[in-house]
Amino acid sequence: MRSKWINRLALAAFAIALLYPLAGLAARVGPWRWDGGIPGSTGAAVRVSLALTALAIAIVIAIGTPVAWYLARHAGRDRMLWEAAVLISVLMPPLALGLLLSLAYGPASAIGGLLMRLGVPASNSATAFVVTQVYVSVGYYIVAARAAIAAVPRELEQTAALLGLAPAAVFRRVTFPLARLGLAAAVSIAWVRALGEFGAVIVTAYYPAGIPVQIWVNLQTAGMPAVMPLLVIFLLTALPLPWLVHLLAQAHDA
Amino acid sequence: MLDARILKARADFTVDVQIRLAAGERLAIFGASGAGKSTILGCIAGVESPDAGEIRLGATTLYPPPLALHRRPLAYLTQKDLLFPHLSVSENVGFGLANGAVDRGARWIAELRERLGLAAIWNNRAAKISGGEARRVALARMLARQPPLVLLDEPFVALDRPLIRELTAALDEWQRRLGFILIAVDHRAEILARLCPRVAAIERGRIVQQGDWDAVGAAPATASLARLLATA
Repeated sequence: MRSKWINRLALAAFAIALLYPLAGLAARVGPWRWDGGIPGSTGAAVRVSLALTALAIAIVIAIGTPVAWYLARHAGRDRMLWEAAVLISVLMPPLALGLLLSLAYGPASAIGGLLMRLGVPASNSATAFVVTQVYVSVGYYIVAARAAIAAVPRELEQTAALLGLAPAAVFRRVTFPLARLGLAAAVSIAWVRALGEFGAVIVTAYYPAGIPVQIWVNLQTAGMPAVMPLLVIFLLTALPLPWLVHLLAQAHDA
Repeated sequence: MLDARILKARADFTVDVQIRLAAGERLAIFGASGAGKSTILGCIAGVESPDAGEIRLGATTLYPPPLALHRRPLAYLTQKDLLFPHLSVSENVGFGLANGAVDRGARWIAELRERLGLAAIWNNRAAKISGGEARRVALARMLARQPPLVLLDEPFVALDRPLIRELTAALDEWQRRLGFILIAVDHRAEILARLCPRVAAIERGRIVQQGDWDAVGAAPATASLARLLATA
């Protein structure tokens, strides 16, 4: 009983320390300026962040899930290679990634030139925004999703196959339901990573500005009073989706 | 008709067997632990791949090339129940039946449910039932599709005698009625003899003797087989 209370006290102390930065929201920085001195910018930033990040995460799930499944289920020598590629994308500092992306997809590159001719500007555009978010988050998604899929006993999948289910049906009816908590965590990590991305996005897609870039713009143009409201909105925007995904995944476990 | 020639290298010997069974035939594969019995069943089931040989079941070639697991018209039961923990008992039993087939096969499924005593736990989550119950569910799920070939890899390990007797009796009855080919593997002769009148004794990956239990028991081909029969 006593040790239970000691554990709780220790956890409370940890939680307070973890959330302490939020105290900054109460700091005296002067009256908050809700539109940061640029009319309409807050609403636009929220719309850009939510819509384009949702699109990016849909792409991440569509591309990342088969890759995660392959890495979890194939023991061949080539797996090391694919794992290294995924890890490099995860370990790359965001600013460096942004600079490299702007060079690799910029107008001077072959791909960038081709995209330009097709009428798809690969920098400072919605495309650039989404591509950058996919690059920064897909590796995180794959690492987490791979662990979730690997935790499903392979023999259960074999059993399902021997009962006549084709591979896609095995994934839908066995692997996915059993891995769903881990996959939900993977989606959450990717979502938060993409939504909060600043270092790479500010290089490739200064415009259209999502919330992180808009925070930076507001800080530069009007100081902290214009940043505070955007910080609150950012937290309120970032949290619900991963939270909901977790609740949904756990609801089926009851 | 099952016609299988299987070659598969193991760490210390090579499994090299030929098995021919007509529709409705039963064969016990008997041998000490590590003799290669499970390798043979694994190769036929498709969870292991032979190094060479040929496996045909009726008009279907299982190997080579290895046929995808979901296209193999067979059932495979091992020591593990491998029930789907997120599904109910009824969903587990009907898992391999296509949509609607549960209704078409309703009488058969009902028979499995009653004979194996699953009615009381029919809607329970598979993760929450006992070990003995799980074994019955695994057996029902395996038979639900009425496969032409049934492979049993020591499925009665860790079960008490009354349950073993009950399950082997049910299997015996259904095999007679449905006429599937049955191959059962175990290191306990007593259990195998209940299910299969014929036995193939295996040592280090090779069949050392085949025949009726009485004939093999009367004149075991090797000293180690005689010892194994005496202790089993």
